[in-house]
Amino acid sequence: MFRGVTLALLALLMLTLFGCQAIAAEKYTVASDCTWPPMEMLNAQKQPEGYSTDYIRAVAKAAGFEVDVRNIAWDGIFGGVATGKYDIVASSTTITPERQKQFDFSDPYYEVVQAVVLPAGTNIKSLADLKGKKVGGQIGTTGIFVMRKADVGADLKEYDDVGLAIQDMVGGRLDAVICDSPVAMFYVNKKADYAGKLNLSFKTDDKEYYGFTVRKGRQDLVDKLNKGIRQVKESGLEAQLIEKWMGPSK
Amino acid sequence: MPEPNDTHSKGNIVMVTDGGSIPDPREWRLINAWSIALVGAVCALFALCLLWPEPYLRILLYLPDGVLITFKITVMSICCAVPLGLLTGLGRISRNRVINLMASTYVEVVRGIPLLVQLFYIYYALSRFFQVSGITSAVIAISVCYGAYMGEVFRAGIMAISKGQSEAARSLGLNRFQTMFYVVLPQAWRTILPPVGNECIAMLKDTSLVSIMAVPDIMQRARSFVGTTYLYFETYTVIALIYLIITLVLSKCVSIMESRLNYYDGK
Repeated sequence: MFRGVTLALLALLMLTLFGCQAIAAEKYTVASDCTWPPMEMLNAQKQPEGYSTDYIRAVAKAAGFEVDVRNIAWDGIFGGVATGKYDIVASSTTITPERQKQFDFSDPYYEVVQAVVLPAGTNIKSLADLKGKKVGGQIGTTGIFVMRKADVGADLKEYDDVGLAIQDMVGGRLDAVICDSPVAMFYVNKKADYAGKLNLSFKTDDKEYYGFTVRKGRQDLVDKLNKGIRQVKESGLEAQLIEKWMGPSK
Repeated sequence: MPEPNDTHSKGNIVMVTDGGSIPDPREWRLINAWSIALVGAVCALFALCLLWPEPYLRILLYLPDGVLITFKITVMSICCAVPLGLLTGLGRISRNRVINLMASTYVEVVRGIPLLVQLFYIYYALSRFFQVSGITSAVIAISVCYGAYMGEVFRAGIMAISKGQSEAARSLGLNRFQTMFYVVLPQAWRTILPPVGNECIAMLKDTSLVSIMAVPDIMQRARSFVGTTYLYFETYTVIALIYLIITLVLSKCVSIMESRLNYYDGK
């Protein structure tokens, strides 16, 4: 009796294992920090959605692999890809020389600049105008790097996610928030709670390019991603995604 | 000569906290858990910085202002939490029904809410009504949280003083207030000090939570450094060693204070 049950269980276990392996061969785990609307965010069903999320799904479909997109906190997202907890980071990651030393990147899939959001009714003309002001951003993002590099003498506050920084500015404890331009536009134009309270005052001239991040040495994966990105661009799918998430104007 | 463990078993209080363990002041051996941990941590930190100045020395030099903020928050929180704890402890043993209920409710409510949630609540949720800086919110949240825990420590310490002491004081004509402050508390303080010291050390460790409010303490400095360099292993190794060294030194301080207060027990 017991032997029968044990055997049946064992058979079931083997079946599941083999089943998983068959799928895993072509399935990559993707990490996105879903606090960066409209690039990646959580929908009402707590599933990741957004431009980067749709883009990586389209790339996967074009290049012939499957993806499982998971919501992973930004602070530590690079550590996880370095140790192999997931294969790809699709989280609006700007390709920077510092990051390229540690990780490999796909070809660029989107172009942004840094944008400074201020409370409605205030304005700046350059980053230098932020001297002595309290400026917030998300920890470890290029907005923070740009402010550090500009070194204008602002009091830089690093939040766990950009939403908390915006909330703190609306509350009055911050003078400005710096983040990627699409995110800034989302908070200023699309977020109903903040309607009329924010002003996208300044954009930097230096362009930044988003890339999908993989562990150093995963050239196979980079090739697959690049193949997919090429097809998504050529097929016109990219233009559709841009219109879907950024609106028809841009 | 009393039994070695006499002072510790006083009143049969068993205190379990998440603070560092306070070294026994009567421990005389050179090699014990405390010295191994401290020497190990200091040596490890020095060795890392000497052997691989890049990146370890760079990490270490990035942190001092964070250490300062951590200490600032801890010291301010201790200054608020200890009096709050004393008041709560007195309230918990008060015969006045209203005061007793207030103190007990405070302890129940605060102990049921995680510190991280309290921090978020004070900084982000209550910002609708009043706005305080990140450091002030941190001090308020930590003091309120630890005040409740310390209240229990004070209550237990006061209850542990034998009833004969206060009866004797009352029969000599001291009023209840004088009995508490001149007779009971000075004695209770010796029982209370180790667990309170423990709570203070736990408090220092819990300040690592305040980085969620963009307060640049040690932990936030580390995260910000990792955010630019992606050196997770190296940075968090240094951070762990720094926290360990600080808590070990502090627990020794508490232990020295404890042995000073126990001076007359040794006679």
